[in-house]
Amino acid sequence: MQVSALRLLGRPGAILAAAFLVLLALVALAAGLLAPSGPLEQDLSATLEPLSAAHPFGTDEFGRDILVRVIYGARSSLLTAAGAVLIAAAVGVPIGLVAGFFGGWRDAMLMRAVDVLLSLPAILLAMALIAVLGRSQAAALLAVGITGIPSFARVTRAQTLSLRTRDFVMAVEAFGGSATHAMVRAILPNAWSPILVQIVVLSSIAILLEAALAFLGVGIPPPAPSWGEMLRTGKTYLYEAPTYAVLPGAVLTLTILALDTLGRALATALDDRSAPLPEIERRAA
Amino acid sequence: MRIGRRTMLAGLPLLAAYPATLKAAGLKGGTLRVAILGDINNFDPQKFTQANFALIKNLYDSLIEYSPDGTPIPSLAAGWTIAPDNMSVSVVLREGVVFASGNALDAAAVAATLKKAADPAKGQQVYATMSIVRDWTVDGPRGIRLNFKNRVPDRQITDLLQFISVIDPAGIDTVETKPAGSGPFVLAERALGQRVRMTANPRYWRDRQPVVTEVVLTVFGDNDSASAALESGAVDIVYGGGARAAIRLRNAGFQLIQGPGPLVQVFRINATRGPFRNAKFRQAFNFMMDRAAILRVGYAGVGEVTALPWAPSSPAADRSYDKTYAFNLDRAKALLAESGLSPAEMSAWKLLVNGGDQDSLAISQLVQGTLAKVGINIQLDLKQDSELVDAMLGGKFDALFGGVGNVQKFPTRIGTNSIYRTSGNAILGEPNPFPSYVAAMERVNTTFGSGDDIRAAYDNLNKVLADTSFGIATNTYDIGLLVASPKVGGITPDIDNMLVARTIGFTG
Repeated sequence: MQVSALRLLGRPGAILAAAFLVLLALVALAAGLLAPSGPLEQDLSATLEPLSAAHPFGTDEFGRDILVRVIYGARSSLLTAAGAVLIAAAVGVPIGLVAGFFGGWRDAMLMRAVDVLLSLPAILLAMALIAVLGRSQAAALLAVGITGIPSFARVTRAQTLSLRTRDFVMAVEAFGGSATHAMVRAILPNAWSPILVQIVVLSSIAILLEAALAFLGVGIPPPAPSWGEMLRTGKTYLYEAPTYAVLPGAVLTLTILALDTLGRALATALDDRSAPLPEIERRAA
Repeated sequence: MRIGRRTMLAGLPLLAAYPATLKAAGLKGGTLRVAILGDINNFDPQKFTQANFALIKNLYDSLIEYSPDGTPIPSLAAGWTIAPDNMSVSVVLREGVVFASGNALDAAAVAATLKKAADPAKGQQVYATMSIVRDWTVDGPRGIRLNFKNRVPDRQITDLLQFISVIDPAGIDTVETKPAGSGPFVLAERALGQRVRMTANPRYWRDRQPVVTEVVLTVFGDNDSASAALESGAVDIVYGGGARAAIRLRNAGFQLIQGPGPLVQVFRINATRGPFRNAKFRQAFNFMMDRAAILRVGYAGVGEVTALPWAPSSPAADRSYDKTYAFNLDRAKALLAESGLSPAEMSAWKLLVNGGDQDSLAISQLVQGTLAKVGINIQLDLKQDSELVDAMLGGKFDALFGGVGNVQKFPTRIGTNSIYRTSGNAILGEPNPFPSYVAAMERVNTTFGSGDDIRAAYDNLNKVLADTSFGIATNTYDIGLLVASPKVGGITPDIDNMLVARTIGFTG
């Protein structure tokens, strides 16, 4: 793990991406301290104001500060991503472990169910779930989380299949260890690398999906701040206040880019263990 | 037929004004290309919904029309006489009018149309208006008399005649799918979800109309694409688009035409629920509506603020209420204090919102913000489609914004809107919990005689509306907003803001 972390540190893009994400998370956590006003605070005498020192991102149609709403929107996006990843991993990883470990009819049954889930377009599935559950942050989180289950299940199953016949797993079984013990204590700790990558990748998908749902008018209900909702409403004012949609869109894009960059770097660092060590890693080694 | 104060005959100056205007304008024909924002779903002129507003006046003619200021004008009815006791109206039909099928317009066709309108299963949106009619008598090929159940005021009678578009009896059973009118155009093609093409009716009775030989209504998915089509010259008119896009196009040199038949946005209150049972609490909302901001945020300033549910052209309109009930949070707070409700009780309700309508969403958020300033913290309850309609019409809501129509006609026509029904009101229940409102509506319906008496009845209704406060009007807004290329001329405003293509032509 130390070697992998060093490989990661050798990639400037990954460091930049991680720094941006950490900053975003800190800003989201400290939104109440950093933001000069509340995200719902209206000032109808200052609607659709351009960028200024008082309102660096301008104001929306209610005179609300767009930067403040972007900051609070980050909280909502990151919370959705974290919750969705937690749900997807909590369900997907055990499915993959059981399917890969036991094989046979259990594998067939579980993976066909996963295939069914996978065959449904994520956005449609999420919209259908929200139609049933109603519009709320919890519903969006659950909907995005469910759409992420197949990817965790497949990645974990693939890892389990490759580890299932390894000596250390066979040894656990030979010494009378239960299947649960073998899965949880022997396989899972050795399968975490692709799962970690998957967490990062799904986080980016979850943020994008949550924004897409809000853009389509089925995400977190207004007036709660949400990047997708800001894009949706800002589109209406594209002529009067172009920055209304563009700036939240830029923050969303940067976040997705950062997560993708980090995910790719992680995948490379964790998988390419035979590759020559970067300079910093060689020195550490 | 007696010709008196309340008799109108063809040939009066108002009728003559339209052809003269067209001649003076020297308009040229051609193909008029109109962008609409939803597919046409029905050809029945009694299916009086916004989706069909681009069609009705082009495939059909009504018995009479209104000028933009509400003056009745002969159309298929060459004249009409209201009986001295206001218990009937006799209509004389125009000669030489034929339907698209070639059948002649006669009193039997009007009778068949009235029969359909009076049938609850077939009368669509005209059925409620027909409730004043007891029966009718055909008097020769061109004469028909409508008999009323009770005395009916003049304006209500002309509203009824204006609402009746005559349908060819030969096509009345299939009119939903195949038009059967005598209008200036006939249906040439309908491509589902794409376009409706109408060609000029060669046997149309109005002189020099229609001006254009063809009208093509093209369905666009959204405002932006329709606006882009207008700007690129792909269409000549955008009909029924949003106010914000219309303002932008007007600023870019296009013509913006607002008709005399707007809707009024009303904050509908379910007075049978929670804190809304308290009259003082409801009355406070009169002062908590920042009407100017609502108009600006929701409708780009296109419309007018109004504290009463009337269009400016309504005979009951009274602008003094706009000042009396202007946005004033101090007065609102005083009424809230008088209500005796605790802050928790005042916040124990949700504002139902049409989640699919950006304008409703915007003004609801605005009001939510205003209420928070006086300590009323509420949640928005977003619903869409059938779920919303079910909640709206079934009274399963605490409060919501919704447009009301027929606000430019006889005042009691407002009773066609669900919240304003005097009986059978699914929101307020049966009997109507506001007997003073029911009595005020009845007084308007039964007041005849001098203008002072009628005005007093209207004033009483307005006072009752403000006192009962189960509907808080905020602003007018346009349906059927029309944005046209500068080369288009001869646009006739319709009292219901329908598209009247017969007078439209090209100036260059």
